[in-house]
Amino acid sequence: MGIKDKLKTGVQRNLNQKYIRRLLDIIAKKPVLYTYGSTFSSLSDKYLNIFTIESLRNAYSDNNHPVGYGSLFLPYEMFHALGITPFLPEVMAGFIAGLGLATQTLKEASSNWYSQDLCTFHRSASGAVELDVFPKPDFVITTNLACDAAQKSFYIHSVKYNIEKNFYLIDVPYEYSKESILYLTGQIKNICMNISSKSGMKLDTSKFKEVINLSNEFRKWAIKVNNLRKTLTSYPPYYNGLNFILPFHGLAGTREAVILYNQMYKELKKYLDKEEKEKSGKNKSPKRILWLHLKPYYKNEIFDVLERENCRVVFEEINYIYWPELDPERPFESLAKKMLSHFLAGSIDNRINVILKAARDYKVDGTVLFSHWGCRQSNGGARIIKDSLNKLNIPTLVLDGDCVDQNNSSQGQVKTRLQGFVEILNS
Amino acid sequence: MYTCGIDVGSVSTKVVILGKKDNKIASYVIAPTGSDGKNAAIKALDDSLKKAGLTDNEIEATVATGYGRINIPFADQNITEISCHARGAISLFSDLKTVIDIGGQDSKVIKLKDGKPIDFLMNDKCSAGTGRFLEVMARAMEINIEQFAPIFIKTNDKVDITSTCTVFAESEIVSLIGQGVDKNKIIKGLIYSIADKITSMVGRVGLDEPVCMTGGVAKNLGVVKALEENLGIKINIPDEPQITGALGAACLAQNLY
Repeated sequence: MGIKDKLKTGVQRNLNQKYIRRLLDIIAKKPVLYTYGSTFSSLSDKYLNIFTIESLRNAYSDNNHPVGYGSLFLPYEMFHALGITPFLPEVMAGFIAGLGLATQTLKEASSNWYSQDLCTFHRSASGAVELDVFPKPDFVITTNLACDAAQKSFYIHSVKYNIEKNFYLIDVPYEYSKESILYLTGQIKNICMNISSKSGMKLDTSKFKEVINLSNEFRKWAIKVNNLRKTLTSYPPYYNGLNFILPFHGLAGTREAVILYNQMYKELKKYLDKEEKEKSGKNKSPKRILWLHLKPYYKNEIFDVLERENCRVVFEEINYIYWPELDPERPFESLAKKMLSHFLAGSIDNRINVILKAARDYKVDGTVLFSHWGCRQSNGGARIIKDSLNKLNIPTLVLDGDCVDQNNSSQGQVKTRLQGFVEILNS
Repeated sequence: MYTCGIDVGSVSTKVVILGKKDNKIASYVIAPTGSDGKNAAIKALDDSLKKAGLTDNEIEATVATGYGRINIPFADQNITEISCHARGAISLFSDLKTVIDIGGQDSKVIKLKDGKPIDFLMNDKCSAGTGRFLEVMARAMEINIEQFAPIFIKTNDKVDITSTCTVFAESEIVSLIGQGVDKNKIIKGLIYSIADKITSMVGRVGLDEPVCMTGGVAKNLGVVKALEENLGIKINIPDEPQITGALGAACLAQNLY
């Protein structure tokens, strides 16, 4: 590469960096957010956006609270109990895709030797770290639960910020057993103690209890929402169950999650009441779809196509409440049980059982497994999931695509596959 | 009265006009799609009407299919290639269980039960395993694509083509030619590389007989023979496999009135 080319690349990199930073800055400014907030379609929609962006703002602000990078399947109650502001790079990768900025972060990752077949949630987040547009973390915590790429890429983040000593990996055993609970409880406790002593944030028992109680309260409302959805067929236009990843994980244990799910319950209940009143039998009832894994977070037509074809996503696997109520008197053990209860932990049978239960509970006509490029934990089970659903006579579409990189799939091909699948459901 | 099926594919546009009473094809046209699918469809329809000696008033319903299906303003409905190829194949061979369609831009395997599609698989986003792959290779070898089948039949040996990607495969064969490898063996290898790709798709959907192959590539007997050998079965080929999607669209249009 010549000097001119190098200069050009350098200038482009700086422009990318400035552009993304400026956008994130604008978004994270509270007054701007609240002005925008007045245009939200409903209170739950407003809460979802405000809480998401406030969490981002906290991570970017200089409020003396340590920032902890966390991967998706962690029990975030520990962050809130420790007073650590969580920052979820994988969720941010979805956010970046939604803002149409993923091309820049992916390019940066590619320039830094991140492999093309690494999942784009991690690749895009790694590009953002390389561009230095994420807040600087004090701690990096991850787990080997479900996702293999997280433990590797998060470690690289810690190296990038010279905090390898503050990198923690929670090792979740394959089997759910007494020994596993003990082993995991010990790890979570040790990590909490260690972070507490390093950060100077006291691990307060009463604070931990409060967080656990809030987590249980959120769980209660989330279950109520899920139960309501078993009979609901029409949804508010702003509602998409695949948009709740941050509150479902990162805000578990906060008042915000309770407020959001409580409000969502109220709004969906109103819809259900309205639906029952207007039941005339005139309209052809929509086909009920179970959605597995995630969706593309950039602008796409998937849900418009389904809407046009009179199909409704009635449940998403990711919203399944897989863990038992937490015990405020035994917080570490409760969080260990929460992690071990995840349907992506251990055998694929755990996931299949959840999928089959959801298929029956929500009386689905068909299932779409969005097969995100590079996601081994999800795609690896595609065949056995499809076969298991076929036994219940539920057709399954394995829809290849990418949640983050819009250049990695063709909208036309996705549309044809979806439409073809709907034609099968209607035949 | 008549119905019309229009299949706007990436390479060619096909129109079939189907008689309502006798259920027979009144006429069909295969024309290049070019860069404007909509105009290609209008022109092919005009030609097809002329061929059948009909006017457009005699067409009661039209269904469009293929990748350009949404841009046909005069179609009463658009239905995917999956349903149309399945329906077209069933109208030609009853009791079918599997349809393999290899078109210019995509390939698909459709599983049928009681004459209806119940599952399908399409090629991933690249052109490996499609008609385009064969076209590019024929051009790179400076051999007419129609020569591929006779060469396949008369050649015993093959050279394995290891690249799946069309671009890489092209450079691989250029390099093989440069090494002095017999072109016929390369052609045999190319045909097997398509057949192997389709065989693995059939494996994923599950092989059930009888099987029918549709789409332009079904005219290439080399690919058909390689597939039959791989799958260990006999494959049914329509007289004009390229119009099966349009035929299916015309059949499905009969449900619209």
